[in-house]
Amino acid sequence: MGDGRGAGGGRPAWLQQYDLVGKIGEGTYGLVFLARTKHRRCCIAIKKFKQSKEGDGVSPTAIREIMLLREISHENVVKLVNVHINHADMSLYLAFDYAEHDLYEIIRHHREKLNHQINQYTVKSLLWQLLNGLNYLHSNWIIHRDLKPSNILVMGEGEEHGVVKIADFGLARIYQAPLKPLYENGVVVTIWYRAPELLLGAKHYTSAVDMWAVGCIFAELLTLKPLFQGVEVKATPNPFQLDQLDKIFKVLGHPTPEKWPTLVNLPYWQNDQQHIQGHKYDNPALHSYVHLAQKSPAYDLLSKMLEYDPRKRITAAQALEHEYFRMDPLPGRNALVPSQPGEKAVNYPARPVDTTTDFEGTISVQPSQPVSSGNAVAGSVAAASVVAPRQVPRPMPMVGMQRMPGAGMAAFNIASQAGMGGLNPGNISMQRGAAPAHQQQLRRKDPGMGLQNTGYPQQRRRF
Amino acid sequence: MADFQTSTHRAKWISTPQELLEKHQAANQRAIKMLEQYGITRLEVDVDGSLSYPEPVLDQKDNAERSVPKPLNCDEEQLMQVFYEQKIQEVCAAFKFPHKIQATAIIYFKRFYLQWSVMEHHPKHIMLTCIYASCKVEENHVSAEELGKGIQQDHQMILNNEMIVYQSLGFDLIVYAPYRSVEGFVEDMEEFCQVRNEEQEKFQDLRGTAKLEVDKIMLTDAPLLYAPGQLALAALRRSNEVHRVLDFERYLESIFSRQRSSHSISQLIESMKTIDFMLGKLKIPSTKDMRHIDRKLKSCWDPSSQDESKKREKKSKHKSKRTASEMQGAPAEVRKFQGAS
Repeated sequence: MGDGRGAGGGRPAWLQQYDLVGKIGEGTYGLVFLARTKHRRCCIAIKKFKQSKEGDGVSPTAIREIMLLREISHENVVKLVNVHINHADMSLYLAFDYAEHDLYEIIRHHREKLNHQINQYTVKSLLWQLLNGLNYLHSNWIIHRDLKPSNILVMGEGEEHGVVKIADFGLARIYQAPLKPLYENGVVVTIWYRAPELLLGAKHYTSAVDMWAVGCIFAELLTLKPLFQGVEVKATPNPFQLDQLDKIFKVLGHPTPEKWPTLVNLPYWQNDQQHIQGHKYDNPALHSYVHLAQKSPAYDLLSKMLEYDPRKRITAAQALEHEYFRMDPLPGRNALVPSQPGEKAVNYPARPVDTTTDFEGTISVQPSQPVSSGNAVAGSVAAASVVAPRQVPRPMPMVGMQRMPGAGMAAFNIASQAGMGGLNPGNISMQRGAAPAHQQQLRRKDPGMGLQNTGYPQQRRRF
Repeated sequence: MADFQTSTHRAKWISTPQELLEKHQAANQRAIKMLEQYGITRLEVDVDGSLSYPEPVLDQKDNAERSVPKPLNCDEEQLMQVFYEQKIQEVCAAFKFPHKIQATAIIYFKRFYLQWSVMEHHPKHIMLTCIYASCKVEENHVSAEELGKGIQQDHQMILNNEMIVYQSLGFDLIVYAPYRSVEGFVEDMEEFCQVRNEEQEKFQDLRGTAKLEVDKIMLTDAPLLYAPGQLALAALRRSNEVHRVLDFERYLESIFSRQRSSHSISQLIESMKTIDFMLGKLKIPSTKDMRHIDRKLKSCWDPSSQDESKKREKKSKHKSKRTASEMQGAPAEVRKFQGAS
């Protein structure tokens, strides 16, 4: 009884292997903390999932994110290094390699502090790596469904400096699994990066929705502001987002059934209660919005990502082969180094850390620097081995969490970590309901609502 | 989804028969040791999901008087697992869950008992938690309460065991069931045979029977030993023996000629024969068969019941009748479940 209890004054046993630095993000799913491993001093981002509804057991979002991340391994996808369990409230803590930057912060830094564009080498390298990670996901039958600048992380100084990591798989789905309407999960998704077919009520998610989002992100990297900044209609479930479509039509022109045959089958187009079919828009002017010559390869690629018809929209694999990536400056692994020898590297600020917040999410009285929300998770210097050898009081069956061999990654082991059986790290003292003592500025608010979809796209044969 | 080739399913959960045997024996031995040491094997799962170990019931003074309960042997454990795996199928059918849910739940259940003995965690509880977890993973969300209500079991037990199940599975939650492979192979066979419309029906029969064969295969050790594609082919081969739809060997040859494989045809046929053999050996215990094993298990869980087992049995029968009449809106087939254990 209580083998692991009482070790270390009310803290879960697994926490002993970390030094908590502070809170670095907050979202609908829960909180993100920055911690250092005592063993190697690696920076780790720890994502704490809120407990789901009462009586619902372990958070389904957490389960989904873990199960997907367990199956995938790619340089441009965040790496899950450990899973910790707090038995006291059945919450899960996911430990990732820490990433110092994300596209949201990088774009903001250029827009608000530097007042100049991101250099072309950096834009191209970021985009290429994003596509590279996405191509991996799509070829593994995973759709991300929530790509936006704050979910695209970039590694800080170290061996993986300037490497892109796609993060936040809480909404990601496997193609063959029935995709439920997102609002059923009570999840808020930003509408700015949402594909037109979804805005028009399409029932199916395809990988093309991710490519639309990449197009929006590409334009934002070029202009430093969101391409389609629609005002969101807040209602449930899944209201028609007229303003978002209006913003898109203004830039890309009106969609027509000639160019997009399946358009006529889309619910909102079909009932046309808002008279979207009749609207008149000026000539498309995407090139002038993004300041690109209509004949440039960059413009060509962008317009193919923002193709209305999801079936004609460029795929990640095709995009990687695009001429844009074959001409100077060529994309590189470290997106944040200067492209020219004489050029000065941009010094992006480190992620702000709220050091007053404890792991339990309670905040002490002292106000501190503002915190931005984001998903500060992803690879860091060395592959982290955060498994501290531990005395397990009684030999217990364990399931190692070792990934595929050959990936050259450090092993990690959930079961031993969580003190499978014998240990009870559940002695966390939860102080819920403590009110935040200070206003947090810069809190990212992502507009967006649930998306409508169901269905079983794309069958797959396997052996 | 992540491909089977690179999956945790393939990398970590396909073993050799020898490994399987060793794991089952190790779990059994550990429980027996615990029984000798403490006189009880049950691991208590607390409300907060943590485990606690039995308090020794064999006090010094008691030691002489009370006999240590007889442990279950490996075969009995296996039999009990099959019984509850088949219960998983019954419960899932009663709830009209998609086929995939049942297969995922059974695979979770099998993997769980590679680490644990039924003497440590009662399969009745684990079975329900596996169904619950499977629903969560396969996005067929059912609340624990609904699930518990439908089969008159305490839903808190489902939730208490949820974390230990995920942990025991190492959070490897994406599993590949053979049903999808059956679909794929049948489509491919239709192409291979260049089926005309009037022949479609034969392939429907082939598919239908193959799926029933997969249901049975799921109750054997085969899902822990072979890839889902192999299980599907074994099922189709058996189904084809009934329906005689195509020349199976020629079809296999065509598969091998189309893609490079690390296996040879003879290896594949060998494994299909082994699966056949396992199916032949499969014995689905009836509730009656279970009674003896169940009694043993009960005494491992609660040695005091040994003396009063008769009294208890009467009592519990009475109780179950009462709750059955209280039951509302539960699928009819599920009522049978009450009879178990």
